[in-house]
Parts: sequence; C-alpha cells; structure tokens
Amino acid sequence: MPPPSVRTYVESGDDAMAMTQVGARRTRGVEAARRRRKRIGIFVLLAPALLLYLAFVLFPIVQGVHFSLYDWNGLEPLTKFIGVENFKDAFGDPVFRGALEHNAIILVLSLLVQLPFALFLALLLDQRIRGRAMLRLFFFAPYVLSEVVTAVVWRQLMRPNGLLNAALSGLTGHETDVLWLANPKIVLYSVFAVVSWKYFGLHMILMLAGLQHIPDELEEAAAIDGASWWQTFRYVTFPLLGPTVRVSAFLSMIGSLQLFDLVYVLTGGGPVNASNTMATYMIDWGFRRTQFGYANAVSVIVFGLSLLVALAYQRWVLRRDIEGSLTALGQ
Amino acid sequence: MRRGLSKLMLVLTVLAVVAAGCGGTSSDTTEGTTVGTTAATTTTAGSVATTTTTESMEPVTVNWWHIENNDPGLSLWQQAADDYMAEHPNVTISINVQENEAFKTALQTNLQAGDVPDIFQSWGGGVLREQVDAGLVQDITSLAQECIDQLEPGALTMMQVDGKLYGFPWDLGIVGFWYNKTLFAQAGIEAPPTTWTELLDDVQKLEDAGITPIALGAGDKWPAMFWYAELALRIGGAEVMQQAAINHNFDDPAFLKAGEMLQDLIAMDPFQKGFLAAGWDGPDGQAAAIANSEAAFHLMGHWAPGTQSANGPDLAATGELGWFPFPAVEGGAGDPMDAFGGGNGYAVGKDAPPEAVDFLCYLTSVPVARELAATGSRLPVTIGAEDAITDPNLAAVITARGEAPYVQLYLDQAYPPSVGAAVNDSIQALFAGTGTPQDVVDAVDQAWANE
Amino acid sequence: MIGTATSQRRDEGSVHRARRAVTRGFLYLSAFAVLGVIVIPVVYGALSGFRDTAQLASKPIDLPNPWVFVNYADVLRSGSFWQQVWNSTLIALITIAFVLPVASLAAFAISRFRFKGREAIYLVFVLGLLFPVAVAILPLFIVVRQLGLLSTVWGVALPQAAFALPLSIVILRPFFMSIPRELEEAAILDGAGTFRFYRSILLPLSRPAMSTIAVLTLVTSWNAFLLPVIVLTDPTKWTLPVGVTNYSTQYTTDTARVLAFTTLAMIPALVFYVIAERQIVKGLSAGAIKG
Repeated sequence: MPPPSVRTYVESGDDAMAMTQVGARRTRGVEAARRRRKRIGIFVLLAPALLLYLAFVLFPIVQGVHFSLYDWNGLEPLTKFIGVENFKDAFGDPVFRGALEHNAIILVLSLLVQLPFALFLALLLDQRIRGRAMLRLFFFAPYVLSEVVTAVVWRQLMRPNGLLNAALSGLTGHETDVLWLANPKIVLYSVFAVVSWKYFGLHMILMLAGLQHIPDELEEAAAIDGASWWQTFRYVTFPLLGPTVRVSAFLSMIGSLQLFDLVYVLTGGGPVNASNTMATYMIDWGFRRTQFGYANAVSVIVFGLSLLVALAYQRWVLRRDIEGSLTALGQ
Repeated sequence: MRRGLSKLMLVLTVLAVVAAGCGGTSSDTTEGTTVGTTAATTTTAGSVATTTTTESMEPVTVNWWHIENNDPGLSLWQQAADDYMAEHPNVTISINVQENEAFKTALQTNLQAGDVPDIFQSWGGGVLREQVDAGLVQDITSLAQECIDQLEPGALTMMQVDGKLYGFPWDLGIVGFWYNKTLFAQAGIEAPPTTWTELLDDVQKLEDAGITPIALGAGDKWPAMFWYAELALRIGGAEVMQQAAINHNFDDPAFLKAGEMLQDLIAMDPFQKGFLAAGWDGPDGQAAAIANSEAAFHLMGHWAPGTQSANGPDLAATGELGWFPFPAVEGGAGDPMDAFGGGNGYAVGKDAPPEAVDFLCYLTSVPVARELAATGSRLPVTIGAEDAITDPNLAAVITARGEAPYVQLYLDQAYPPSVGAAVNDSIQALFAGTGTPQDVVDAVDQAWANE
Repeated sequence: MIGTATSQRRDEGSVHRARRAVTRGFLYLSAFAVLGVIVIPVVYGALSGFRDTAQLASKPIDLPNPWVFVNYADVLRSGSFWQQVWNSTLIALITIAFVLPVASLAAFAISRFRFKGREAIYLVFVLGLLFPVAVAILPLFIVVRQLGLLSTVWGVALPQAAFALPLSIVILRPFFMSIPRELEEAAILDGAGTFRFYRSILLPLSRPAMSTIAVLTLVTSWNAFLLPVIVLTDPTKWTLPVGVTNYSTQYTTDTARVLAFTTLAMIPALVFYVIAERQIVKGLSAGAIKG
C-alpha cells in the first residue's frame, strides 16, 4: 500500500477505522475477510448498473457485432457469413469516407466553437445579472426541443426567402440569398450551425454545474489578493473547471462521431451526400437499402473509432483528473 | 378499356416475373396455408355477405397494420372494419394504425423478430419480394380466387411475385403532369405539350414570362427519379424497361439517352430556388411551390392535389389545376400511352387466418371502393368504382391508367431496395450537376451486381 | 496633501465603478444578443403554430395573419395529447428513478475505491456511449419482447435507463472524485460507515451533478422516438414524439399543427428543467467545504 502522504483515495470506511485502532493486530484471516467484504460491497454497488446494462446495452452491442459479419437483409435467416467483407467495402466506399470526413470536421469545429461558447454563457449566467433565471431557461430551451421540430423550424429559417437570409440582408445591407441547405458546398456547415444551436445547452449546463462546485471563497480570495477578473478566471476558475471542461469535450467528441438524429431530419445526409455522417450513412444502408449486416459493420466502425478516441482521451487527458484534482483543492 | 387492361395484365405479369429475377432461387418458402377451407364460394363482387366456408365459428383475430392515420382514410377503414365485424361476429379486426415512417420502422423490427402482422401495408415490388423470400408473407392465390375478379387484373401484378399473389392492391395511380392553368395562360401556352420538344419550348416560354417553370423536390430524390424513369420509358419502351430488370443493368443505350435528355432540361435551370434541398412535402417543398403558384407545373402521382391543398390554396377547387400525361419523345421506341406509377396494397402475413383474405375481399369490394374513390385521394382498383371519382383531373388519371398498355412500377419500389436507392441517389447527383448520365448507369449496375 | 490623497482615491473609486458599469453593460448586451439568436427560432416555432401550413408555405417570414387558433386548440382539446403527456411523464420519471440511484452507486464504486479492474469496468460503461442506438434496436426489441415488456412503460423506461447510465457515470465520476478525502475521513472519525458517507455527504454535495443528470435524462427520454415507436404498439401508451406523427400521412404533413403540438410538448420538459435547475445552481458545496 502506498504511504499515506501520496495516497489519493480513501479506502472503504472499514479499512480506515481498522487502521486507527491503536495496537490492532490483524491476522491474515481478518485481513482476507476484510478484503472479501470490501469486494462484496463493491459488487453490490455495481450490480444494479451492470445488470441493467448487460441486458439492454451489452447484449445488443454484441449481437450487432455478430450481425456485421454477415451479408444479411434483416429478414432471411443469418446464413451468408462473409467475415470482414463488409468492413472492406465500407472503407472502399467514397461515400462512407466522405461521411467520415464530415464527422471529423464537425468534431473539430464543435471543440473550437461549441465549448468556448458554452463556457462563455455559463460564466455569464454565473454572474449576478438580473433576469439570470429567465436567461438560463431560454438558453436551455433549444436542447429541450425535439430533433424533429428543430429540423422543421430551421428548414423554414434557412429557406432562400426565409428569416436567416432576411436577417442577414438587413444586417449587412445587401441582398443575402444563400442556399444554406441546397448548396452542397456549405450544407455541412449549415448543419453544424444548427447542431451547435441545439446542443450547446448541454455543455452550458455541465459547466454551470461545474462552476457551482467551485467554492466562492477561492474566487473571493483571489479578488482580495488583487487579481483581475481575467486572472481569477485563468488561475483559479478555469483550472478548477478542468474536469468539467474535459468531460464536456469528451462528450462533444463522442457526440460528433455519433451525430445522427438532427442531420437525418434536417437534410437526410444530402443533398448528394454532402452532409452525410457515418450514422446517417449507416441508417441509409440498414433501413432504406435493407443491407442490415453492412449497416452493423458501419456501426462497429463508428464504435471502434469512438472507442479509440475514448481510450486515448482516457489515457492522456482524464487521467490527470484522477490524480490532480484533489491536490488543487487541498491545503 | 378492357382490351388495354388485359394487355396491361400481360405485361405487368412479365414485369413481376422479371423483377423477381434478382432474388436468386426463390424456393417455395411460403408455408402451405391449409386450403381445405375454401371450397368454391360464390361471391358476387362486393357483396358484404361474403361467406367463408370455415364451418367453425371460433373467435378469430386479424391484426391489421395500416397507415391511413388521418381522415378520411382513418374513419373509412374503421367503418369498414366495424361493418365487417358486424357481419362476422366471430372475427375481431385489431387495427394498428401508424404514420408511414413509424410504420416502416416498426414493421421492419417486427418482421426481423418473426412477428408478422396478418394484414399490413405494402407497396409491392422489390420489398415484397424480399419478404416472400424470407417466408414472411402468405401465398393467397387460391384463397383469393373467390373475389379476385372484382379487381382490375392488371393491378394484381403489383402484389404478385413469380406469378403468385401475396396481397391485395387497393390503390393504383400513374404519374403525370399537374399544371397551373392560369400560369400557363400567362406564358402564352395554349395547350399542354404533347411532345418532349414542346415541353422544352413551354419551359422556355414560362421562363420568358418570368415564371418558374417546374417545381421539384430533389431533396427527397424520388421526385427527381420520376423524370428519369418516364424519359427512359419513352425512349426505350416497355421491352427495354423489362429487360433491364431481367439483365440487372441499365446498359441499354436508352438509359444513357434518358440521362442526356434530362440534362438538356436541367441546363435550362427551370426549377425553383433551393430545389436540391426541397422535399415533396412541407412548406418549402414541391407541393407548396405549386399550390402557392410559385411554379407552373410538376411531375407527380395522383396524391398531388391532396398535398398541394394542405400547403396552399386548393387549385383544384378553383379549377386552376389541370393534368396531362407525360408527352411522347420524338424518336423514342416507347408507346406514348405507357405509364409509370404505383400504389398501395395490403400484404397478408404468413400466419394470417383465411378470414384475413376474406376481409380484404370486403375491403376491395365495390361499395367500399366507391367510398374510397369519393375521398378524392385514392384510385381504387375495383372494377366498377371508377365513376365514383368526381374530380376531372383524377378521372383523367384513372382513364389513362386504364388505357395504358404497360405500367412501370416506381423504380425504387420495383427493384431491390439497394438498387432503388442507387437509382435515386445517382439521379439526384445528375440534377445537382455532380453526376453524369454514365454515372447513373454505372451506379445502378454496381448496385445490382452487389445484390 | 490629504486632500489630494482622498480625491485620488475617489477618482480611483469612480474609475473602478465606471469600469464595472461598462463590464456589466457588456454582459447585458452579450446576453441579449445571444438570447436573440437562441430564442428566435424557438419563438418562430411557437408562433408558427398560430398560422396554418399554407401561410407558412407562402410567406415564411410573417406574423400570423390571420391568427389561427385551431391548431393549439385542437391539440389541447384532444384526449390523446394529454394521454401522451402522461405517458411521456411516467416513462421519464421512471427512467430517472432508475438512473439516479443506479448510476450514483456505480459511479461511487468506481470513483472512490481502488480495486482491480476498476478502469476496465469504467470503460465498459463508456462503451454504451459509443454504440449507435439505432442499429442496436433489433436485439433490444427482442430482449424487451422476451421479458414480456412490450407495450408497457417499463419496456421503454428500463432500456432508456440502461442507455443513460454511461453518460451519467461519465458525468458523476469526476464530481465524486473531487470530493476531498478530508470529508470522508472526518465522516469516518464521526463513526459513519461507507454507505452513510455516500448517502449523507456525497449525494448532497453532488446535487448539481445529480440534478444535471436528471435533466439530461428527462430531456433524452422526453424526445426519444425510436424505442417508443417500436415498443409501444398500443396507441393509448404512446409518448409525445410518437403522437406527433399523427399529423403526418404518407404524402403530407400538417406542419403548422406539428409546430403547435411540439411547442406544447416542450413545456413540461422546460418546467422540469426550471425545477431541477435550482438544484444545479444552488448547490450546498459552499457550506460543506467551509465546515
């Protein structure tokens, strides 16, 4: 056991209590019993989650991976085993590669645009300005809207003679006639704008929760020490917000890779596949073209990519939270 | 009309046989439904008192999944079910009505899990063939004998695979041009075009008059596919279309030519702004553009007036809406009377009791069919229901349907789903200018090869 | 001399006040600018419910002219709408009731205990975030069917809870980890066991995070479509997203009515957010850490 000074976790209460008993002599039996009790305790804590998870999440995933090895239209029995053919076909399809590119673009843009914006708003809403509660409500409203209605509304706004063009014409002074959704060159960015509009509320609410977790005293102490707002933010608030920002970034990346609902109802992935994501591609092949095995293979690819991102992120970024966050709050 | 219909029946049968070709060997997967119960039953077409010869009066439940989730269809179907149940107290018809897309998802999942509804919405073609191959639908050829004569023989092929019947069609239409008479007059067009060249001239006239000629929802892809399919039909003719389904390719020069001629039209820039993202429906869609007189005409099926009036003024009611069939293409091998269309049917699930077929007989009987026709949005296939259609445009459609020597089913329905999707996608690219006519041919050939 | 010192201080004071005023002005301005961009589409959707689809088609930008009340009225009058509100609420609450305890227990286990395989189990939970639900739908349907949960609220709520676990655990874990161990040690010295610590100290301190999860779970459940449409075959059990499809047919959608419906459908979720959000913002963190 590592020495107490660098120990970052407290083991179970029993453990600590046993240690504080003066002169306690533990026999091997007691030690083993304690460890077993601890393991049972942990198991009890994890059991409900794992049970639920196994039945409704893991089993379908495993089935999905199984299906991906077949040429299957979903209706006939599973007979045509083709191994990794589906995967080869996917990477060989320029439309899929295009979809992959689109996901990557959205991933990067999300990190660069959505997160800072969400942070800005969370900071804003953390200040004591009047109407704060109302503002929080309004800012979160887009997230509450269903994807279908978001798409319906934004399709209206982005019509050639819709509100967006009209507003831009008014603001810039000259006739704006952009085909936001019909121009294959820009449709992806229009989609990204709508996605940002809808989902920034999620990140905002996460950051708000994170901000609440930072004790006011620390910020007040910094102010008393003469720090400007920016300095306080940079050296106190932002580092303490670190775990939250990192979770937010993680969710943003995973969400970008999985992006489906909104794109599907807004553009269907088009026109001419210009706004396709891997998920819309997958649904198109699975449900529309009834190539169910192939669609499962694509979902395994999406899964694999997400896993890579998750693993890499876990290893290099989130690991810091495990070891660093406590000392920051320490004496 | 009858003569045309028997020809229609012949070619549609061939079509069905041919379109089936890609499914590989279709072993007889339909479980033999016990045919013992159907002794010859004399049924006057449309009679409500259709007697099944099952002697047992045990309670029977028939699960019916349909998608007429709004009135008038919703109430009409409910009424039909209620009336039937009144006549057959031992039968319970359990209706599950859903919206179209929700239905497709739910049906797909249920079928994959092996739960097949007794009667469910079907559009025939390649999807029905897949269901046949998987043994999910029932061969009702014999069971249907008792009332099959009440239907137009040509329409039956929509629900047939390899000559066997797997369901009942109840609505069949053909695609044509719906146009705004006022706008045509404004542009100085006196009569609808009868040739492709005239059509292009009319497009020019409209543009000169400052009117957007054509509304197109290329975002949904299938409206664009209609143009290509009609041209191919006119240029190549019925034989070429049928051969394509047998040979599994678009290699016949007619398809290439269709794409090229379509490009001539596209080059004139005749569509409404943002047409590439517009859908058929919706405030920004093709129907809305026509309804609000923002474009002069469009190529669409018989449901067009309904959607139009939901999105704008009812042009049909004011007499401003007219219909004309797809014009002849000079030098094309196709018969100008050939038609392109499709419709709705009800497939019978593999476990369905004979009462299901009996109910379908009732549903497509003359009284019910006439009520359906009166709703003004469907074209029944029951003989004797045609004159219940009052709208002059729809009457024109149903007449043209009757006279057509050959009806080609929508390409994305007729062919297997992945081929249909390839057709739609590559044609959308043609309209977007990112694909060539050769690309269409190649994409379709490729998709079929992968089947 | 003193005079200049005081006047100097007074000048500094007023400069400081001026700067604060400018900052506040800037804050208000940005807030309202952003507010505009964010809210206008929502308001557009709500207002469009007061038009009919034909109006929407012909003039995208316009106030309702004339005001059409029948969309909202018909929705509010229809029994099925209220039934769907009830079903959606029931399913959402059950989902949350499962997610909160189950996820927090699991997150507790993998955040404050060291044991072999801890990171592996965490990753297993993260896996659920990574797999697109849409393709998992067939095996999921089979499981639900085999458990006899078709057309029940449990058939929707339980899988939803399961799929909400990964996100909840991912959010809760850093929160739990950042509770200082001094608190735990203090609790132990006071004679509290592990579970007591969890219930009386950890959970209250994590109220912001827990409320966040409750809100996110509710919104996801509220708008979920794929699972309810497959599981809930009985129309009396439909949720709101399934119910809205009734305004579409195979060929046509009544867009204005859809917008009226969805605007109304949004309200309960927003109300829930307002309630839960007080928990998110007014955490008890200050009090506990001071102690």
